[in-house]
Amino acid sequence: MGQLSLKNVVKTFGMIEVVKGVNLDVSEGEFIVFVGPSGCGKSTLLRMIAGLEHTSAGDIVIDGKRVNDLAPVKRGIAMVFQSYALYPHMTVFENIAFPLRVEGASNDVIRQKVEKAAAILHLDQRLQQRPGQLSGGQRQRVAIGRAIVREPEIFLFDEPLSNLDASLRADMRIELTRLHKQLGATMIYVTHDQVEAMTMADRIVVLNAGHIAQVGAPLELYHKPDNTFVAGFIGNPRMNLLPVKCTGTSAAGVTVDFNGQSLTLPVTPRAGIEGASLLLGIRPEHIRLGAGDASMEIAPSVVERLGQQTIAYVTLPGQETDFFCVVLPGSQSVTVDAPVTVGLMAADCHLFDGDGKAFERRIDLKLLAATAA
Amino acid sequence: MARDNDTRTMIDRYTWWETVLIYLGIFVFLFFLLSPFIEGFLVSLKPLAQLFSSPYRFWPENGSFAAYVSMWESVPGFARYIFNSFLISTVATTLVLLLVVPAAYAFARFDFRGMGLVLAAFLAVSMFSGAVLLIPLFRLMRTLGLLNTYFAMIVPGVAFLIPSAIWLLRTYMMRIPTELNEAAYMDGASQFYTFRRVILPIAMPGIIVVAIVTFIGAYSQQFIFALTFNSKTEYMPLPVGLFAYFGKQEVIWNELMAASFVGIAPALIIIFFLQRHLVGGLTAGAIKQ
Repeated sequence: MGQLSLKNVVKTFGMIEVVKGVNLDVSEGEFIVFVGPSGCGKSTLLRMIAGLEHTSAGDIVIDGKRVNDLAPVKRGIAMVFQSYALYPHMTVFENIAFPLRVEGASNDVIRQKVEKAAAILHLDQRLQQRPGQLSGGQRQRVAIGRAIVREPEIFLFDEPLSNLDASLRADMRIELTRLHKQLGATMIYVTHDQVEAMTMADRIVVLNAGHIAQVGAPLELYHKPDNTFVAGFIGNPRMNLLPVKCTGTSAAGVTVDFNGQSLTLPVTPRAGIEGASLLLGIRPEHIRLGAGDASMEIAPSVVERLGQQTIAYVTLPGQETDFFCVVLPGSQSVTVDAPVTVGLMAADCHLFDGDGKAFERRIDLKLLAATAA
Repeated sequence: MARDNDTRTMIDRYTWWETVLIYLGIFVFLFFLLSPFIEGFLVSLKPLAQLFSSPYRFWPENGSFAAYVSMWESVPGFARYIFNSFLISTVATTLVLLLVVPAAYAFARFDFRGMGLVLAAFLAVSMFSGAVLLIPLFRLMRTLGLLNTYFAMIVPGVAFLIPSAIWLLRTYMMRIPTELNEAAYMDGASQFYTFRRVILPIAMPGIIVVAIVTFIGAYSQQFIFALTFNSKTEYMPLPVGLFAYFGKQEVIWNELMAASFVGIAPALIIIFFLQRHLVGGLTAGAIKQ
């Protein structure tokens, strides 16, 4: 139980199509994260699954049953809102008990379920307080408690941590992951924070302008982005994209001309790309000081020292509107306007065609995961 | 080193002459606002003979509360007038709240065809002076057979008070986050359950403000309706009843003033009681702003 299918789901507001035919299958117990920039339709999609927005076209299917016209409570789902949406005049106990009171549950059942949820969420000592007396993190836990007591098959979270400060957000992230394991329920989580997406998700759904740009496990999106949008969206700082020319293809991959140097990238070649203009993608953290398979000389215009890493931003000739970014481990002796040689390895590079579609990289994700472990 | 223990923010600090000016301004404002009441109260304490002495004395000489006792004997039906005023205002306020609370919620939460037009019509109606409509209302009351009844003073009052009450409460209810409705809907609550258990308690400060404003409005508009639609003493409210102190030969000013103060006491008690329930910031913690 807790399977969800979206079949060509469309949402229009007047003449504007916000969600443009989304297809997605979510398995029981999966933790799915919707990410994307503002206005990409991720919250709208979640609200359609919740039953708060009418579905303009397509089907929403939960456990084999079409639920488009069912009220939220009959879909077996619960939702945690970004703004908490707690009832300010009720105590924490009454807030958590609210769905059970609506159901008409007996007082004994209500007390038992509320106390169980409160124990899971460490709210036992707060049950008689009102939301106004709680911290942001505690309020969010009350909102989660209200969802838990209904014992839904599917939990929906709409940017639940976006109002919390950074350290509390990190704590709640861990707590939500623990909760997912404990409850084993399907969870669908909307965020614009890619750290939340990468750390919590079994699979990430990247949305762009109402379309799914890519669905995959976090590391799959990181190592094998399907297109330049996903490549740029996943990873912080974003991936550098440099225009290159294809000079040939071989069994080893695609050879490009990079700053007058020949670089053969281990990607699956396509027919007829010789001479074509392509985009070479390299993540800032994959660039190193000194020589690599290809090298370039840069003069940083801004240097940020975070202790753990040093970030250098460079304006490349012909790319004045976009920074080329380099992330170096620890404290490195790069300074503003001082030329330095950096190198990149062919195996770390990505390649995209003129439409932004990626060439398949020849890397084994399982092997990568095993190496990392 | 000397420490400045002033906890005010820099923007709240004034020089001595600014402070003097501010207090002077407050004093002038309060004087204009309260001087009729002060004068009225002092008159109620003075013996009748002293009121016409020359030169006029502002402070009472041998002042007493005698007029507060004698007023009940001079106009034996005075208690009835207070009761009538109280009854008319209370019933009118209750009726207004019963109609306005659900209506304001509907106007605040639901989007329906013609809503803007209806709201504009309410605003237009509230701009009419009651006096303009007295004659048509009189004909209406006569046709309905309501002249010389409590209804004649309650029904038009309710009609006049509803529009502004709807606007006032709608504005308040619009500030209640819609997420609370959505959360309750997700939890399976019906519209009515959500209204009763979630919205109504949160809207209570707004409802109390509307109740106070309506009660005051109902109290003050009785005069014109009672004078036009009623000629029976037993239904007379206080503002008209005060005319009983205007005798054929003289006006018993001290008793009239005493009666005025006694007459507004129930209204003041009600308002005092209601305003204690005005809890600011009741939505604190509902949503992250």
